Amino acid sequence: MDLLQRQPLLATSLVLVPLVSLATPSWLTLAGAPPCWPVLWLLPWALADGRRSALLLALVLGLLLDAQHPGLVSLIPGLVLLARWWGPLRARRPAIERPLSLGLLALGGTALLNLTLMVQWLAWGWRPPLADGDRPGPDPALLARAGWTWQDLTTVGPHLLLAQTLLTALLAPLVCSLLLLLWKRADPDWRG
Amino acid sequence: MSVPWRRAPFSRGRRRRWPLLLTLILLLLIVRLSKGALLNDAYALLSLPFWPGPAQSEWLRSARSVEDQARLQALASDNDRLRQLLALQRSNADKAVSAPVISRQSGGWWQQLVIGKGALAGVRAGQPVVGPGGLIGLVASVTPATATITLLTDPSSRVGVWVNRSRNQGLLSGSGSARPLLRFLDKDPEARPGDLVVTSPASTLVPPNLPVGVIQAVDANADPAPVAVVQLIAPVQAIDWVQVLRP
Repeated sequence: MDLLQRQPLLATSLVLVPLVSLATPSWLTLAGAPPCWPVLWLLPWALADGRRSALLLALVLGLLLDAQHPGLVSLIPGLVLLARWWGPLRARRPAIERPLSLGLLALGGTALLNLTLMVQWLAWGWRPPLADGDRPGPDPALLARAGWTWQDLTTVGPHLLLAQTLLTALLAPLVCSLLLLLWKRADPDWRG
Repeated sequence: MSVPWRRAPFSRGRRRRWPLLLTLILLLLIVRLSKGALLNDAYALLSLPFWPGPAQSEWLRSARSVEDQARLQALASDNDRLRQLLALQRSNADKAVSAPVISRQSGGWWQQLVIGKGALAGVRAGQPVVGPGGLIGLVASVTPATATITLLTDPSSRVGVWVNRSRNQGLLSGSGSARPLLRFLDKDPEARPGDLVVTSPASTLVPPNLPVGVIQAVDANADPAPVAVVQLIAPVQAIDWVQVLRP
């Protein structure tokens, strides 16, 4: 947590993530899917400041982003998992900071984050099967339950996951390298 | 001798007048039975230059228009009163709040818009939002200056609709793609591609008869009931201004 303690103002840059998510232009989307901005911020931060700082800020970031969306599905579990994964990589940062490594880490991270969302939607959208003897035909109460259905997740979900993963992986070498460079310049005691 | 000489011309004249007399009687009968049709028509033709000018006709048309408007208002207020009694949503386009779209997330896991009017402008959660062409979604949450709209394409969106032609009810469910699904409540919805889908008068969430979309394809064999793919009328990707309908 060196960077967070020495330069706490740098951590405020995470406020930009929800703002950029809101302002994503349509030309920066792939098949309608926007880049996964939380991944593009958390990856360089975890590489720069380690696991504990990344876990703390993943929680804050998750709370901020969840406030933008209705419903109970949360980004926090996925971001915490990513912080746990990427934090220990700080020790091997010079090798990790290569563009290809950043791209691959962003690829895996975005896929993992999207999978945690899909699992949550599946859990919330699970509907009990009709018992024997129930009347055939649609049950309006079950139809009215909001959320992703299994059918929607299997048709639209993979398409969305692939598009967002690919786009984020392509942007990661550019965005993450830029952020690491900015933070390095802002902190004179950087131990790169 | 004098009598035949005098009677002969008289008889010939009478015989000549008989057809004329019969024709006249027939004509009068026709006039009588047709309620003066020929007479009136002749009178109309002759008096045409003296008919009243178009001003009075305009007055009549204007009076008819005022009468229609008054009747429409009476029917609308009657309809509102009845819908209130049934606890259904009322349509009131006069109280709509226009708002600019300041953020558009229509392709991710959450399909929503953020608009630049919020609680300070009278926007409340649950209010329907329309764009050019029809309904686009419902207000999910509000802040003092903004409101988040859950689009009809979002998987958490459920709106009661019916097919305008066949009056079959269904539930429009967002599926994460650009085209929501219309899940019918009947086994035989009598819907076909091209049918207009509007909000249901039985809905407690949205005002009745707002245009929503057009049926693109129908899967009649879907389980447990037929499903239709609906193309929304309002182009969400291109909308810059929307209207929030207040009750």
